Amino acid sequence: MIELFYEAGTLVATGSSRLPEPFVWDGRTRQWRAPANAYRETVLGLRNAEVPHKDRAATFEKVPLESRVAMEPRPYQREALGAWKREGLRGVVVLPTGAGKTAVAVSAMERVGRSTLVVVPTLALLKQWYSVLQDAFGGTVEVGLLGGGYHEITPLTVTTYDSAYIHAERYGDRFAFVVYDEVHHLPAPKNAIIPKMLLAPYSLGLTATPERPDGGHELLPDLAGGIVYRRAPEDLAGTYLAPFELVRIPIELTAHERFDYAQAEAVYKDFLEKHRLPMRSPEDWQRFIMVASTSHSGGREALLAARRRREIREGAMRKGVTLETLLRRHWDDRMIVFAKSVEEVYALSRRFLIPGVTYETPARERKEILDRFRVGRYRAIIASDVLNEGVDVPDAGVAVILAGSASRREYVQRLGRILRPREGKRAILYELVTAQTGEEHTARRRKEAFT
Amino acid sequence: MLRSEHVMARLQRGRLVPHRLSPEDDRVLDVAAELCDLYAANVGSPRAGLERELALREEDLGPGLDARRGFRIVRALSKLLEERAGWGAPIGSDPYTLRTRVFELAAALPEPPASERGLLETPTREDVLSQVAVETGVENPGASMYADRQGAQLLAEFDRPPPETLVRRYNVAQIQGVLYSARDLVVDLAEGSDARLIFHYVKLLGLIYELEPLSGGYRLRLDGPLSIFGATRKYGLRLAQFLPGLLLTSPWKLSANVEWKNRDAVLELDSEKTGLETHYLGPKAEREAGDVREAFVKAWDRAKDTGDWELKRGAEILPFPEKKTALVPDFTLLNSATGELVQLEILGFWSERNLVERVALLREAGGRGHRLLVAASERLGTSQEALSGAVDGGILPFKDRLSAKAVLSALE
Repeated sequence: MIELFYEAGTLVATGSSRLPEPFVWDGRTRQWRAPANAYRETVLGLRNAEVPHKDRAATFEKVPLESRVAMEPRPYQREALGAWKREGLRGVVVLPTGAGKTAVAVSAMERVGRSTLVVVPTLALLKQWYSVLQDAFGGTVEVGLLGGGYHEITPLTVTTYDSAYIHAERYGDRFAFVVYDEVHHLPAPKNAIIPKMLLAPYSLGLTATPERPDGGHELLPDLAGGIVYRRAPEDLAGTYLAPFELVRIPIELTAHERFDYAQAEAVYKDFLEKHRLPMRSPEDWQRFIMVASTSHSGGREALLAARRRREIREGAMRKGVTLETLLRRHWDDRMIVFAKSVEEVYALSRRFLIPGVTYETPARERKEILDRFRVGRYRAIIASDVLNEGVDVPDAGVAVILAGSASRREYVQRLGRILRPREGKRAILYELVTAQTGEEHTARRRKEAFT
Repeated sequence: MLRSEHVMARLQRGRLVPHRLSPEDDRVLDVAAELCDLYAANVGSPRAGLERELALREEDLGPGLDARRGFRIVRALSKLLEERAGWGAPIGSDPYTLRTRVFELAAALPEPPASERGLLETPTREDVLSQVAVETGVENPGASMYADRQGAQLLAEFDRPPPETLVRRYNVAQIQGVLYSARDLVVDLAEGSDARLIFHYVKLLGLIYELEPLSGGYRLRLDGPLSIFGATRKYGLRLAQFLPGLLLTSPWKLSANVEWKNRDAVLELDSEKTGLETHYLGPKAEREAGDVREAFVKAWDRAKDTGDWELKRGAEILPFPEKKTALVPDFTLLNSATGELVQLEILGFWSERNLVERVALLREAGGRGHRLLVAASERLGTSQEALSGAVDGGILPFKDRLSAKAVLSALE
């Protein structure tokens, strides 16, 4: 009789002299071996051919997953789920940011009703999914976390791509269903090995942008299943995504700051010119650091000037005061402030006594802060980049960007945060940009990229 | 271990030369000593301060050491020092409770807390903070509300190494860093190297091996379960962890296929030329067993009558690839009259699990026509009960020393 075992990310079969692809004879250990994701195909094949066999590989279990959160799925969410079911509970759903991909995943988990692993790209998303799953299923199952200092495996576990790459081979037999959030990360060479280590016969991939410049999306059908449903932002705009107003506030430096800035700028620009260094890309910046740190004449001064210049720009006094004004104006509107750095988040959190959320914030505290923000117990929160890339912030009415980099993707996704549909609401996005400095240019570039 | 961004190597006609610092170079030792000083001086201070000072040192010390890579070298050295540091919590009261109370009070106000007191007498930031101070007894809630951040942690202890040790650790760590990107590792073990030690690490790290006899040694090829479906760097980290274990013994030659910046490259090492020193201590069992084995050799030499049996050090490796392990006996006993060969292994520290596994391996070795004795000390084990149980399975127990007589009577 054929017996199947799970062994360190692979499926091992004994009791047969020959097994079909993708099994190969492993001469190293004298066993038939296949990647773990051959499990679905193997077991179905054996069943259909009525070959007697014993499955000692899978240790996943049925879990009564019934969401406690009342949900009325939007029509496209229902369609997406239907398409995914028709393809054998396997495939990728493409929906724009803010269209409620998470809700589709929660319904899919209810449908499968077995141990589930959710794989996400960032620690911020790890914490966000923890919070969503805790709300939905926390009454019946404990939600586990793997990554970011957490190592608790339960039948409903959230992990990161990085942690899954390292640990999946130890737990790959425990999950029947795997959800890949932001599934466009999965075809990256390192991540592509993750599905191979998981038995999980069912999978769901979620993303707004499946295409990869390296063509990796062609691997998706193998890794998570083909695209089973797709909607573009245009399909949903108006009906489901709220329009918003963009307000740009230029921040003038004070006379004193302007003086300091001009001095630092002169030292820095002189050095660039002397060494004929361009400054157009992040690589140029690294080159500057390298040249300045090894130069004996004026390198150190140039480094300090560059730092000072940036400090003045980011810490512009009027920026803080303007933020204070906005806080006062929108104290009843639920405001979310995006700061440039983690340090800035904590400095402003201390200054204005509003909660800060960064990648350092522990999962439970983060959930508590966002929950309280959602029900209005906190009026404003301040966050660093953690709230990027698909992280939900429910119903923020006002967003403020203190300083951002010129990436188009980042900008659009940040906007996605306040594009939540809400009855009769017009969201406002403020962008505070220091005038007469490089930041102005960054903001213009970003706006052009967006429109 | 270093992070990938600290790893540096040169590619020379397909061969990788990991970055190396000379433990004899005074400039290098001065930098190493200065970094150790910095850590030592910061014991009891917060992490953020230490990190700030380290960043400044990078700019001061780096370029003098190496024009291009100085920054990274200094950063790598401090990373290795961080492994010798212990961190502690800064204050007694719980910052989470503190800040949550602050945020709640502030959010309950009809307007955001004002930064300064004005004519309108709206509540200020100070009002909120002093209320929390009264409630909690914490003197300065504004300063302590984020005291649990990593940067606020205190450097509680630092195990200061001599500068040479740090530099030696750096040299091994750079090679380990190159191995992060390795797809496999081939080790040629020459006579005299301790194969048992090597299999200890192979098993510990969950690697899969292939063993091939060479004249005067063995070739060991290491990768992982998934490697058979196509080369992968997934096991690179474990191959890197394997290296310091390998450095505990010699002689050997190593070669690894490395995917270096999207190119195929090879890393080669020869134990006789590396000048590397490991920081692993080796498995405790092996350290103990060394003495027991030496004592047995002496006892055998002193024994008056060993019949026709001759004792030789070293033995054939018996691989059990499906169990991911191998038996590496210490001695071969040859009967000069009959030509019969028996191998003898003397265990160091053992656990019940070790014994059960040994008994199973003995049975399997017997099935393959090998005769094998495994001796286990009553003193070096955890459970007398397990030992007496294993005697039936062919384990030979002894008290303090294994006597020649006991072995001879087991041979008969």
